[in-house]
Amino acid sequence: MARLVGVFASSHAPLIVRGWKDVSAANRDSLSRSMTELGSRIKAAKPDVLIEIAPDHWVNFFINNLPSICVGMGEEHDGPAEPWMKECPYKKIKGHPRLAHHVVETALERDFEPSMSHHLTLDHGFCIPLWKGGLDPLPPIVPIIFNDLEPPYPTVRRCLQWGAMLAEAVRTYPEDIRVAILATGGLSHSIGEPTMGEIDEPFDRECIRHFENGDERRLVDFLNERLPTIGNGAAEIRNWVAAHGAADRRGFELIGYCNCPEVYVGCGFASWNLGARA
Amino acid sequence: MRDYWLSKLFFDLQSSPPLGAEYRADRNKILDRYPLKPEVRKAVERDDVVFLASRVNPYLLRFYFVVAGMPEKEFLKKVRNAGAESAARSSHG
Repeated sequence: MARLVGVFASSHAPLIVRGWKDVSAANRDSLSRSMTELGSRIKAAKPDVLIEIAPDHWVNFFINNLPSICVGMGEEHDGPAEPWMKECPYKKIKGHPRLAHHVVETALERDFEPSMSHHLTLDHGFCIPLWKGGLDPLPPIVPIIFNDLEPPYPTVRRCLQWGAMLAEAVRTYPEDIRVAILATGGLSHSIGEPTMGEIDEPFDRECIRHFENGDERRLVDFLNERLPTIGNGAAEIRNWVAAHGAADRRGFELIGYCNCPEVYVGCGFASWNLGARA
Repeated sequence: MRDYWLSKLFFDLQSSPPLGAEYRADRNKILDRYPLKPEVRKAVERDDVVFLASRVNPYLLRFYFVVAGMPEKEFLKKVRNAGAESAARSSHG
């Protein structure tokens, strides 16, 4: 049977690539340290496959066909299409169709109905944390896209349940492989709205405390109440919630947090200690 | 509310760098391909961020103005004013 060997989360601000030269030295140090540490922890987990949860920034889907959740089933996916990601080393990204198929089967058994794609383009949301974490070569990736961009979004509660289902899918996968999960996005930020550029550090800190405390109901209530009141980018915290569910809601450890106005994002990096008990 | 064809225009432009270049060279040529309502087309031609913001996803709005070549500072200023202007417009009917 497969084993879940690590659960991780990371921000993926585009300006980490596109505007790096404009980031202050202190924030560069903070972000670099966190991204390197995150990459080291993923490498140390030695995953044979990485399940990665990220939004789609209008690359694969449009409002004529917009899945709430889509699982990438293909043997191969394309690397990022954004022109400013041209230095990213991942041009083609190997998938893992057998595990992806098992994830979808498990989802259907548990009354989830994900969309499926046999060929995705993995945009900066997928690739920045891997690239800046130094993961080269990459393990095969099973990409899972959550709709965090266009309301109405999947509910926070459903995302938590998705994570638990993913952990079950890994546990019941018949091959003896090591699987890690990486969720990307958040924390607070606002894109294309009147609040663009605003970072709500108190919200981010409180959110982190809820992950640390591990109380599912309080986390869900907090996010249900607060997410509609802050910038649209924070919707991506749903992906962290899925990671939290996969880790059985315990063992959260903050690797680093950087309130980084130069990239418009309250950047967070985390891992879950799977042996921990809340 | 989303304006489908306005959203499609913005989506297509950010998906295709060659189309973006063509758009910057001749906006009307590209705009003619989309069945935009007259008031929507006028808002695009005028870079009316407030009007457009109420009809497309904010990420698409942001990507569009990058492709259209609006300087970041100008976009930030306009989009940050959009909340106040939008409220003022609706309060005046």
